[in-house]
Amino acid sequence: MAILQVLVDSGVYEIDGMINDDVVSVSPAALQESIGWELKPEGLCRGDMCVPVTDTGGIVHGDRLDLVAAARLTGSETLIDHDASVIAISVPSPMRRQTLVGRQAANFTLPDLDGELHSLAEFAGRRRLLVAFATW
Amino acid sequence: MIAVALDESTEEVRGYTEGITYPVLIDRDRVITELYAISNVPTVVWIEADGTIARPNAAEPGTDMFVDFTGVSATPHMDAVRAWVHTGVIPDDGATSVEDLNPAEVQARLAFRLALHHRRADNPVRAEHWFDKAVKLAPLDFTIRRAAMPLRGDDPFGASFFELWEEWQSAGRPFHGVARG
Repeated sequence: MAILQVLVDSGVYEIDGMINDDVVSVSPAALQESIGWELKPEGLCRGDMCVPVTDTGGIVHGDRLDLVAAARLTGSETLIDHDASVIAISVPSPMRRQTLVGRQAANFTLPDLDGELHSLAEFAGRRRLLVAFATW
Repeated sequence: MIAVALDESTEEVRGYTEGITYPVLIDRDRVITELYAISNVPTVVWIEADGTIARPNAAEPGTDMFVDFTGVSATPHMDAVRAWVHTGVIPDDGATSVEDLNPAEVQARLAFRLALHHRRADNPVRAEHWFDKAVKLAPLDFTIRRAAMPLRGDDPFGASFFELWEEWQSAGRPFHGVARG
């Protein structure tokens, strides 16, 4: 076991795990802590949402779970930095399709310049102009 | 109006926000470039009160500072926004569908994220390795290639930028959203 760093939309999580090629073995608790999904009899679940797991062999290895296979099942892509034991995980693609195809603006929570967190949803109830800009 | 800076340094962003009364957020991990398939700045999205998107990603400048270069003036967009806010009228291009990120563009965002992680951990060699991979995966994505320039010690308003601009023009100005010009 080693310390792995997992980069997701909500931040950086340090969990115990082991990387073997493209398999990242972690405990069920570490899976939930990092990507927020929990393996239950009905599938991989986050809140009320569950994704059925048809082939548990792809995800479950003894008492460990493969973080990469679990992420893929929930629509996320992964990229592993083997030398540094860091795994970057994308937002689930259904969330982006909800924005692009379903035309429902995906919610996000980000800090303002004083570090105070705000969500897009906080400004619901009136028309909003979202502007992505940069200093570069 | 909600402004989101795709930047690394809060202090640099603060330099541009004096006198601004609307919320300015900072997205250091570039989450909204994944959620909204944003590939350049400025990108604006019109969102109705109920969260429906009235007009998706469009490259609209806030001022006419670069109008000679880009050929896009801020005035028509600002007039259209005012009309929408007051009367709900949506321009025809509001129905444009935005192309999803392709697998390489998603991987580029992950490589960029790894680069930011190593840069923050003061590991410039690992950071450069991943910035390079990110740019190779999405060479015409400004949120990758141009955004990486100042983080790799390159000038985002210098020769590297004009090189990118030329390549982007030659490729037919790819953009995830309402096409311009």
